[in-house]
Amino acid sequence: MDGTSYNAWRLTSLSTLPGWALALAAVLLCAAIWLSFRGIRAEPSAARRRILVALRVAAGALLLVLLLEPGIELRAESRVRARIAILLDTSRSMRFPAAPNGPSRAEAMLSWLKSRLPDLSALASRFEIDVYGFDKELQPQDPDKLAAAVGQAAELAQGPSTDIVGALSSAAAAGTGGRPLAGLLVASDGADNAELVEGMTPQATAELQKLNAPVFALPVGAQALKDLAIDKVVVDDFAFVRNQVTVDVTVSARGFSSTDVPLVVKREGQIVAQKTVRVGGGTQRAEAKLSFVPDRTGKFAFQVAAPVYEGEALAQNNSRSFVLKVIRDRVRVVLVVGRPSWDVRFLRQLLKRDPNVDLISFFILRTPGDDTRSSQDELSLIPFPTQEIFQEQLKTFDLVIFQDFGNRPWYHLSQYLDGIASYVREGGALAVIGGEQAFAASDFGGTAIDSVLPVGLGVSGQPVEETPAQVRLTEAGRRHPVTELVPGLTANENAWARLPQLPGLNAVGPVKDNAQTLLTAQDGRPVLVVGEVGRGRTMALTTDASWYWSFVAAGQEIGPRAYETFWHGAIRWLVRDPALTPMRVAAEKTAFDPAAEPPVLDVQVRGSDYGAAAGAQLRAQVSSADDASPRAAGQAVAAADGTARITLPHLPPGSYKAVVTAKRPDGGDVGEAEEAFIVQPSGAELLQPAPRPDVLRAIADVTRGKVLDESDRLDTLPFRDPERVEVGQRKSRPLWDRWGVLAALCCIVGAEWTLRRRWGYA
Amino acid sequence: MRWSRRTLLRAAVAAGLSWPLRARAFGDASRLVFAQLRHGGRWDPRPDGLPRLAWEVAKRTSIETSPVVRALSAADPDLFRHPFVVLSSDVAVPTMADAEVGALRRYLSYGGFLLVDDASAQSGGPFEMSARELLARIVPAGKLTRVPREHVLYKSFYLLDGPTGRSVTRPDVEGIDVGGRLAVLYSPNDLVGAFARDSLGSWELEVVPGGEGQREKAIRLGVNLAMYTLCLDYKEDQVHIPFIMRRRRI
Repeated sequence: MDGTSYNAWRLTSLSTLPGWALALAAVLLCAAIWLSFRGIRAEPSAARRRILVALRVAAGALLLVLLLEPGIELRAESRVRARIAILLDTSRSMRFPAAPNGPSRAEAMLSWLKSRLPDLSALASRFEIDVYGFDKELQPQDPDKLAAAVGQAAELAQGPSTDIVGALSSAAAAGTGGRPLAGLLVASDGADNAELVEGMTPQATAELQKLNAPVFALPVGAQALKDLAIDKVVVDDFAFVRNQVTVDVTVSARGFSSTDVPLVVKREGQIVAQKTVRVGGGTQRAEAKLSFVPDRTGKFAFQVAAPVYEGEALAQNNSRSFVLKVIRDRVRVVLVVGRPSWDVRFLRQLLKRDPNVDLISFFILRTPGDDTRSSQDELSLIPFPTQEIFQEQLKTFDLVIFQDFGNRPWYHLSQYLDGIASYVREGGALAVIGGEQAFAASDFGGTAIDSVLPVGLGVSGQPVEETPAQVRLTEAGRRHPVTELVPGLTANENAWARLPQLPGLNAVGPVKDNAQTLLTAQDGRPVLVVGEVGRGRTMALTTDASWYWSFVAAGQEIGPRAYETFWHGAIRWLVRDPALTPMRVAAEKTAFDPAAEPPVLDVQVRGSDYGAAAGAQLRAQVSSADDASPRAAGQAVAAADGTARITLPHLPPGSYKAVVTAKRPDGGDVGEAEEAFIVQPSGAELLQPAPRPDVLRAIADVTRGKVLDESDRLDTLPFRDPERVEVGQRKSRPLWDRWGVLAALCCIVGAEWTLRRRWGYA
Repeated sequence: MRWSRRTLLRAAVAAGLSWPLRARAFGDASRLVFAQLRHGGRWDPRPDGLPRLAWEVAKRTSIETSPVVRALSAADPDLFRHPFVVLSSDVAVPTMADAEVGALRRYLSYGGFLLVDDASAQSGGPFEMSARELLARIVPAGKLTRVPREHVLYKSFYLLDGPTGRSVTRPDVEGIDVGGRLAVLYSPNDLVGAFARDSLGSWELEVVPGGEGQREKAIRLGVNLAMYTLCLDYKEDQVHIPFIMRRRRI
């Protein structure tokens, strides 16, 4: 005996005929009944007509029942509970405080979970409860264990990124046993950095609607609604010196009334650009373009910063750092000439031909003593633009060349000389080329110009010595890049020795301490002296006949290459071409993650002779955009090849400048170089950690859910409760094989036949 | 007119004192020293022309010049110490040897400047024919073409509206460009002849048809030429353009 207790039944067809055959049979029966009705239309008695049609319809219906083989299905049915997915944000942004000086968001979330455990128990009687942690992936979690680990909340928040839509979709699909989804509950700070990073999108809306279940969202950290953040900083990786750089800054503000926020761009603590944007009062995001003009080449760390206002949820996101490499498009040279000469002509021709040089020239073509025998309008002469060259435009030049140029009273230069010297000390370059008006004859002696030149200007004798000079390399000149005409020491010395004699030299005072003589005459008179003053470089060439190394050399079948090589090398050295820098420091990376390895600097150090400075003592000092005072940060000793690696200590997020100084073992200076880098968290999770309750609200709106308050009870939330029936056992019994059906069919057919015969139908 | 010894001496002293002297220390290297190309023909038809041009240049501009004109053959290595050389004659220039032509080619390609001045001022004359033939050998890849009036030669110091000389045989000068600069200038109008003064300061040759006004224009062209060779296209730098355009309109 079958012991199963069936609690439901339904009618069914047990026929083995295909559906289309049964449909065809039904149509044929209907057609037959209609035809038979047409056959008795002429019957005058309406009663007879009705009786015959009724009998035929009844017979057709019974015949159809026989074909359908009707049966009864007995079922043992049970109802399935729907499921609720609870998602808890475990990304790193949950480490930030939920409120100023309050617990972390993760801690606040777990505290809430703990307080809602009774609600979950109540819900568990009606629903299946699945609890997950999520960041960029989904992990099942035990709510009881989580509630017991409020104190270790920071360990939970380790996820590298946040993908709320992905987590909701995964949770919806993760249910077991095909249980219907009653709803989802997500507790998060809303700091999504995946699909919702720019807010709700049509794609995200479509994905959320596919859930077909309401999402109830608990914004964590939403209490700290007041927050200002530099959300985005967009700037090119490199810029050209003296060309405007524009930084696109996106600022977001929550909980602010209409406020003017001053934004600044700082380099090494100095403000280089600033702008005020208005945020708040309905404006949650504002964009600003801050522009500045870098005045020197190199790699610099910049910081975009906004003030930290009282009551802000986070202070860390009020600034952003970036590194900008400033390069030259072309070397900008101003050539100031006291009088036209062949030396001027050949140098100008060389510089004008060089595509890497942007040459600005000014030649003195007439002096007060000259008589042009014409009116001014018949001349092409222009006034000496001293103010424009030496004041307004001075800092736009990489190199100033004075060629046979003196400080004549009628030039009125005195007011600019201090500025020119400052320009050099601050990173500019000055080259002075000889001539009858240069050096001791220049009237620059005792001025600021004198103080930056590598040679003294005071001489006791004649300002010019006519004894021809055959130049030769000094020991310093043998390795210096300015005097490297050809590779190889011997070959280079030979190349210099072959050059034509110079017809005479300017007399100069003593070579200064910070200078190096690279070329001398056979009798020791200095020909080429270079020096460093502050951050700038200077060069003194005591002849106005360097063109001999070009044209006269060409006449001697030597060719002009030496002249070109010399001047190209001199200009590159003067403007600090990185390739000619004796000491270089390079950060291992542009940006270091504060949670990863500490910053590392790779150093290559060469001495003033450009040879590897083995054994040099290296010391690194670091300063930040906030604190410009340098502090010791590491040291190392250069290896035999002059290289070294300095590992700095862990540094907090910010922009930094590292200055590495090298000293010889005996304490003598070797050189100094600097590098810029930034320390900031990698990825957007910690860069944009501000709570975004608006994102959670949008999710709730799209899914017809609700934004929760911490005090809201969970067991009263309007979860869906879809009917889902599971059939355990079923049994079918046929109805057609009952004798009564067949007997009824026979009776009806017999009655119809009998009546038809009696009423006179065939 | 007869010249006594005393008169000659006085004239020489006067000429020396009147030279716009400045301190001379580096020698010729820093000065503009004209060189006269010595060839097999009448290579120096206007011996007083170039010294006088040097005097005018020194007097009118800041350029330091030398009164001495160097006479050098094309094959002389010293030619390369004087980047401004003048080829002149009033008769045909004899054919030069290949070595001399090669030296001049090298001279021009490395930065030298050659002024070819037809002292005969005879269009299509023997000098012009021979000079063109010689230039074709020296710069086979180049061709004498008209120097346009917009060329910086006409604004390198004075604002000029065209060339001239002792004569006005043709209204234009021609030139050959080498490496982006005017390396050869051919003057058909006896330019140097317009400068020539005798030892007493009198002009040696009459200037036709414009007289002294034309002479002054010729001197100005000479000054511009000297300025151009030392400054090249300096006056085409952007800073000068508005000034020059304004004055051109006056």
